[in-house]
Formats: sequence, structure tokens, C-alpha cells
Amino acid sequence: MTYLFQILNGLGLGMLYFLLAVGLSIIFGLLQFVNFAHGAFYLLGAYLAYEGVERGLSFWVAMPLAALVVAVLAGLTERLLLRRVYKLPHTFHILVTVGLALVVQELVIILWGPLGGNVAPPEELSGVMILGDFVYPEYRLFVIGFTAILAAGLWWLLDRTRLGAIVRAGSESPSNMALLGYDTLRINTAVFALGAGLAGLAGALAAPIRGVEPFMGVEALGIAFVVVVIGGMGSYAGALAAGILVGVAQSLMATLWPEGARLVIYLGMAGIIMAMPRGLFGRA
Amino acid sequence: MIPFLDRPLVQFGLALATVLILPLAMRSGTLASEILIFGLAVAACNLLLGYTGLLSFGQGIFFGLGSYVAGLGLMRAGLPAPVMLLLSLALGALVAAAVGWVSIRRQGVYFVMLTLAFSQMFYFLAYTFSGVTGGDNGLLDIPRPRLGGTVLSDAWTYYAYVAVLFLVLFATLQRVALSTFGRTLLAIRDNEGRAGAIGYPVRAFKVAAFAISGAVTALAGALHAMLIGVAPLSNIDYHTSETLLIMTIIGGSANLFASLLGAGAYLLAADALSAIWPRWLLLLGLLLIVITLFLQRGLWGLIERAVALVTRTPPPAESLPLPLVGRGQGWGWRRQPPPVEGHPATPTANSSPQGGGGQPGARPAPEANR
Amino acid sequence: MRDRRAFLKTSLTAATLAASGVPISGFLRSARAAEGPLVVGAPLPISGAFAANGKYASLGAAFAAKEAGSVLGRTVTIADIDTEGKPAPAARKMQEAMAQGTRLFAGGILSSEALVMGKEAAKSDAVFITTAGADEITGSDCNRGTFRWTVPTFGAIAQTVRPLIAQMPQAKRWYTITPQYVFGEGLLSAAKAVFQEKGIEHVGNSYHSLAEKEFSGYLTNAIAAKPDVLLLLNFGSQSSDALRQAVSFGLKKRMTIVLAWASGLEQFEALGADLCEGVYFGAQYWHGIDSPLNKALVAKVRETAKMTPNYSFAGSYQITKLLLDAATKAGSADGPAVIKALEGLRYAGLTGEEEIRAADHQVIKDYYLLKGKAKSAMKDKDDFAEVIQSGKSFLSPEAAGCKMA
Repeated sequence: MTYLFQILNGLGLGMLYFLLAVGLSIIFGLLQFVNFAHGAFYLLGAYLAYEGVERGLSFWVAMPLAALVVAVLAGLTERLLLRRVYKLPHTFHILVTVGLALVVQELVIILWGPLGGNVAPPEELSGVMILGDFVYPEYRLFVIGFTAILAAGLWWLLDRTRLGAIVRAGSESPSNMALLGYDTLRINTAVFALGAGLAGLAGALAAPIRGVEPFMGVEALGIAFVVVVIGGMGSYAGALAAGILVGVAQSLMATLWPEGARLVIYLGMAGIIMAMPRGLFGRA
Repeated sequence: MIPFLDRPLVQFGLALATVLILPLAMRSGTLASEILIFGLAVAACNLLLGYTGLLSFGQGIFFGLGSYVAGLGLMRAGLPAPVMLLLSLALGALVAAAVGWVSIRRQGVYFVMLTLAFSQMFYFLAYTFSGVTGGDNGLLDIPRPRLGGTVLSDAWTYYAYVAVLFLVLFATLQRVALSTFGRTLLAIRDNEGRAGAIGYPVRAFKVAAFAISGAVTALAGALHAMLIGVAPLSNIDYHTSETLLIMTIIGGSANLFASLLGAGAYLLAADALSAIWPRWLLLLGLLLIVITLFLQRGLWGLIERAVALVTRTPPPAESLPLPLVGRGQGWGWRRQPPPVEGHPATPTANSSPQGGGGQPGARPAPEANR
Repeated sequence: MRDRRAFLKTSLTAATLAASGVPISGFLRSARAAEGPLVVGAPLPISGAFAANGKYASLGAAFAAKEAGSVLGRTVTIADIDTEGKPAPAARKMQEAMAQGTRLFAGGILSSEALVMGKEAAKSDAVFITTAGADEITGSDCNRGTFRWTVPTFGAIAQTVRPLIAQMPQAKRWYTITPQYVFGEGLLSAAKAVFQEKGIEHVGNSYHSLAEKEFSGYLTNAIAAKPDVLLLLNFGSQSSDALRQAVSFGLKKRMTIVLAWASGLEQFEALGADLCEGVYFGAQYWHGIDSPLNKALVAKVRETAKMTPNYSFAGSYQITKLLLDAATKAGSADGPAVIKALEGLRYAGLTGEEEIRAADHQVIKDYYLLKGKAKSAMKDKDDFAEVIQSGKSFLSPEAAGCKMA
């Protein structure tokens, strides 16, 4: 019975991990760009939601607003900075995004202080669901449902719309896209903003669960990489499956062998790269 | 590039001069020792990044391993320091060969992610087996080495000890880089497929590069543990790997002296800035962005430009040499578009080690519009 | 009354010393001036993940220095040393500071850095006094140069778990959540000993790593064990995360939650009153403590700095003040003289009467059990909790494992 609830709990975690990682995956797929600043967007989303709620906004306004602001900021960063870096070797992708992540983290400390804070879940979701002997916070249930809807929307966007087709084609062959007359620069910016905005949304959604603190981005980045690598870089379905897999594994390990939870997750990551380097769902 | 500056004797001369100038220019012998120790670890990282084109996020594994060897070897096993240092070389080589042997089976970003995963695994191993490693507390009370009956407790005496080892290993790394082996590594970096086709055992060469790099890094880790008297858990964590990589890129991966430059600049800047402003990491972040945009050959590139100015030779181009320009090449999963005939960015011959690395193919930039 | 007199006496002595210094020194003044200011090193995690603690601790040290003004005729200055929260920079910068002649150090918030700095201090006849948590500091790794103000894990458990067992005789089932490293083990084994003695059923424990942020899995385990009390044995942001998530799982309504090692006001601020209401916290310091020195400190800090001293601030203030008072008493700022003056010192501290045990350099002081107040019951924005009880519980130096060389 405990296992059943650990699985339910892991599902909730996993959906959050999916949201966090899918942006990283899409950005990699289209831009071949490894973004070490992805955790910083998550951090920023969480803090913006915190700021919104502190200023008296409803969480329902603050959450999407935070994601939107993160998306806009990320789009600007892409236009002004990262665009110049794509053509460089990936050493420099890492260097510039590590730098960017440090800048964001320290700015957060300057603006909000080093202490961190708490974000209360919205009033209507502050209770718990009672399931026999067990309880589950309503807010976490909401996160599962909301992320599931979002995941479906995202799938529709990427699989059924013109934008999605462009994005997929672009990640197959950017030069052909340019030949066909598409403005790849603008597509890149849009996709980068979308990916970062999703990370920001994950941060805003996580804030009532985890609170906010200036170093939350580092942990998030680690998890996002694990999920993306296991799921397959650039794969939407992979991010979803791997996010849930990692979430459930982490939750189950809390009962089975908590000390080894991280060890097992990274062992799994290495194992996947060795056995199926494209990840569970990556295209060969 | 200015060929004169890349000559081995000039390079060694620069390293020797640095070793001699540091005691005159610096107040703290501890910080000076740390610069040489990290200089060594960064040079080892550069052997992988600059010479072999392997961006390893796992260098902290070997650095931390060396620290633990120092703690366990000197205190539990009671080994004399020289024996312990040899042991750190051997174990560093062994573990690095194993990590390398697995990691090099994948390329590009998958390789990077594998080394990242290994780095996390070793961290959690060290954390979990606290009986051996001291866990979060680390191994305390690591003594300084003795020389002729006296303990090198004075900072500058220990600096001299470190300096001698540094120069020996620096020269050794230079020999490695200049040997047939080193030139083959360059060939592998520039065009792995071709090197393989000619008949070089590419994998064996890469594993050997890993082993050499790991051995030197572990020795640096052991020296570091003796410097600060502790083998802390933080020496094996992901941040150590990241810092070593950042130092390598800041210095520039063109040659081995650039690595000492990178380590020195990073440590001196961190020391000065952290004393002035608690948020100094913000400035470090900005510095990394500036280097990416304007100083892709690292601080070494600056020196080259300065020398060019003085000697009135044509200045080296700051942007990377063309072979390395090409978005996301060698990253493994996207089909490479065929080379464009007569493309303006078609590379010329690729000579000495270049900044960046990590691009196993010398192909033209696939997209004209970028 | 007695405390005030003691306080007056100390200040008088200090004043006399300072005053007498002037005429006597006449021609000695140049020698004094050559000594320059009296530098107290404050090695703190000013950058890095524990920057919040470092920031307030740095303010506390500066406050103590400003209050003291000058000691032995030398102006007191604080040299902030950024340890980055890591042992390696801490050890290196400590060596550098000592090479420049600094012999007095007050700081070290994290156990790993404090242990290393204590070793460094002992090597060079310097004094290091810390507020870090690890028992080894005044236990198996104790040494001549290291002193510690904070109550070890044994006392923290004794002063939280014991009174709660007495207060809630019907609560027989306890569940623990423990970070897996030496500090957590220390708290856990102390708690287990109390459970056994009192006939409490320890219905389960969850270990987690120091990197853990997600506690829902462990909370699910705890719920399954149906305890009466949930005892959290982690600290810092991990205990905040664990408590936050425990409250969101509605555990406050199902069981009593105890956080044995809280960080103090800074933690309450980060969590907010709603989360803390009805939860029990163990604490080294609270600004509501009824002692003359604490009342004076709180009033003065509120007036000059427009803030209420939190644990990082107050702890750092106290240990800096201790060093300066000991230097005054010893008539010297040399390491061995200050060590001698500190050993066995009884003084009116922030928590009332405090004493430095000579055998292991552990400060014998109160540990506090707090209970979170409802938002409506708070008298001001910092009045998050009331002190339920306090007291001193310590292992003997031998039992703590200290063999001073």
C-alpha cells in the first residue's frame, strides 16, 4: 500500500520534472544548444511567483505571469546574447550559460536577499485529500492535473500545428528551413523563450511545494539533465516518460534505499547512455 | 598564433618564471601554492580538452580521489609522502582510465553527460562511504610532508616542494604533448574519422590521455590535501569539476602555460573579489560571458595580441579558427549536412591546438544564415 | 541585579584598563601604535549556499567589535573572511590570516569548515571559537585552540524530546527523519537513547542525503507508520523543506511536529507564521530570552540596525564578545593567553549564566524549546514563538570523547 502511494507521489514529482526538462530538451533539439542556465529560469519563475503573491496578487495570476516574464526575459537574452554563441563550439555554450546562471542566481540574492521564503498554496487548494489511511495535498493533485493538461497542449502544439512542424523540421535540418524561406532566427528565439518559460512555470508551480531559495536552480538543473538524457535529447515524449520515471524512482527509493537514491538515478543515467545513447525515445 | 610563444622552451620558461615570480609578488604562500596545484590540475584538464577534444566534467573525481589517497595513505597506512604521491598517480591513472574507457564510447554531448553522471556518482559514493572518506566532515589532520627530518609547515617551504613537483610534471606533460602520442591526439581531435582510418587505435589513445590526465589531477589533489590539512568532500564534488573546466577555458586551451594562467587568474580574482563583495560570483558570471563573446582564446589570446602588437607581427584572429566554427557538430544525433562546396567558411589546414576543442570534425559551417 | 553588577564590573575594569593604558604608555605609545588595531578574523560563509547565515553573522561580529570599541588600547576591527561555505577556502584563508598575524577567530557556521579551521588554529597557537553543530568539535576532534558556544546534539535532544514526552504522556509513537551524516546520526542516537529510557516506541526512521530537497517520499513513509510525533532531525533549509512539505500533507492535524535543531528567527522568517504555528522548535538562541545581556542586545540592535538579532547574528556577537572579553581579562591578545582566560570562564551571556568548560572547551549554556504562535497572537512581526522551557544538558567531556592533547 505504501508503494502505491509512493508511486502516486512520484507521479506528481515526475510531472513537475517533465515540465522542467521538456524546455531543455526542445531547446537542445532545435538549437543543438546545451543550456546550463535552464535551472536559472526555474529559479526566476519561482521568485517571480513569490514576489507576485507577496504583492497581493492571486497565485492564479502570479503563476502564469511569472512564466510569461521569464519567457520574455529569456527571449531577450537569446536575441542579445545567446544568438552570437550558437556557432561556437559547445565548450562556449557551457561557459556562457554557466556564467548566465551565476549572474541570475546572484541577482536573485541581491534583489530578494539570501534567506528564501514561503509561498502559500492558493486558498482553495490548501487542504488535503484523505484516501483511507493516507493523505495527499490537494495542491499536488492539482499540479498533476494541470501539468497533464499542459503536456497535452504542448503535444498538440508540437505535433499538430504549423509552428510545431516548423520546429520539428528545423531540428532535422535548419539549413533547409532557411532555404525554404523561414526566418529561423525568429523561430529560434520563440522556441528558446517557450522552453525557458516552461522552466519558469515549473518554478512557479513548485514554489508552494518547495518554497523559494536562491540555490534551487542548481538542483533543478541536475534533475533536468538526468531527465533529458534518459528520455532522449530533443524528444518530447522522452521528457514525459523519463520525468515520470525519475519521479517515481526517487519516490520509491525513499522507501527502499533512501541513501542510495541519487546514486541509483545517476547510475541509471549512465546506464541509459551506454545501452541506448539516444535515450528511451530519442530518434536515431 | 605566434609560433615563437608556442615553442616548448618558451613555454617552460614562462612556467619557470611564474614559479620564481610568485614568491616575490605575493604575500600568501598558501595562495601561491594553490595556484600551482590548480595550474597542474588545469593543465591535465587541458590535455583532454585542448589536445584531445574531450570536454570532461569528471576532473573533480580524480582531484578528490587524490585528496583521499593523501588522507588515507598518510594517516591510515602511514606511508611516506613520496610513496603516497606515487600511489595517487597510479590510482588516478587507473580510475581515470576506467571512467575514460566507458565515457569515450559516446561522443559529443553524450560524452559530456556521461562524465557529468560519473562525477555525481563518485560524489555520492564518497558521501555514502563515510567510514572511508569521512563523509561531509572529510579526512582531517592530514600532515605536511617531511623533508630531511623537518615538516614543511611553513607556507613558502611547502610552496617550494609544490613548485619542484609542478615543474617536473609540467615538463612531463609538455613531453607528452610534443611526442608522437601527443601529435596523434591532435590528429584525433581534428579529425577522428581520418585518424581511425589511417589505422590509429583511437580509443586506446583517448583512454591513455584520460589516464595521464587523471594521474596528474590526482597528484594535484593529494598536494592540495596536504596544503590545507584536510581531504574535504567538496574536492570530489561537481563544482570542483566545473571550476577546473572554467579555469581551463579562461586561460585558453591553446597550450599548457595558458592553463597555469587560467588557474592563477581565477584564484587571484576570486580571492580579491570575495574580500570586497559578497556577491562576487556575479562578476565571475559576467567574466565568463565576456570571455565567450570576446576572448575565445582565453587570457592566452590576450597575451598573443599584446606580443603581436609589440613585435608588429600580424595579430592572431580573436575568433576561433574556422575549423571550429560550425554549430553543434559532432553532437551525435543530428545527421550532418553534406559539406558545401566552395563555401566561404571552408577551413584551411588546422595546425596547433586550438581553443575550444570538442569538435572532432573539421567541417565547414553547415548554415550560411547563422 | 547580580548580573548587572557583574556587567558593570567588567565594563569598569575595561574602562580602567583603557584609561590606565594612556598615562602608563606615555613613551610606550609608539610601540602600541606599531601593534596597530586588534584584528578579529570572522571566517564565515559569506558567499555560497549558506550566505544568509554568513551575512547576519558578519553583522553580529561587527556589532560586538563596535560595542567594544578598543581592547588593550587597540581599536578592534573585524576582518571578514569568506569561507564560501567550503572547507578548502576556509583552511587556506585561515592560514593566510594567521600568516598576517591574526590570532583570534570567531566564526565557522558549517561543521565541515569549523572542524578544519579548529585544526588550523591549534597548529599556530591561535584561538577559534565557533557556533557550528558537529559534536566532534568539542568531542573526538577537540583541541587546545577550539572553543564552541553551541549546545551539542545530546543537549539539543534532551531539552526538546524529554520535556515533550513529559508534556504529552499519551504520545507514545515517534517517527524520525534524519540526514545521513555524522550530525544527523548524533541527534538520532541521542533521541533513541531517550526513547528507550522513557519507553517510547520509535516507529520508524527515514534517512535522507544532504542534497535532498524533496521530502514527500519520506513523509509518506511517516504517515504509514502512524506516529503521534514526527521528529525532524535535519537542519537549515532541509528542515524548512521538510516542515513545509509535512504541513502541506496535513500532518500538523494528525501529529505533533518537532524540529529539534531550528536555526532561529531566520528560519521563522523564511517559513512564515502560518506554517510554524503549533510546531515545536529546539533552538540555541531566541531574541525573547529573558537575560540582561540579551535584553540589552535586542534593544540596542533594534534601535541602531532596525532589525531583531537572529541566531546567526547573536551567536556571532556572543563569540566575538567572548574573545574580546578574554583578551581584556588576559591583558594580552596572544593565543595561549586568551585560551587560558577562556578556560573555565563564567560570564553573563546571552542565554544567562554561561560557563566555558576547561576540559573540552564547550560552553555550558541553555538550549530552548519554542512553540510557534498563531499569527493573531504575535505581538510584533518577529514574535513567532514563545519559549516553553530551557535548560542545560551536557555529556561529560570523557563521554563526549574529548582527549585534549
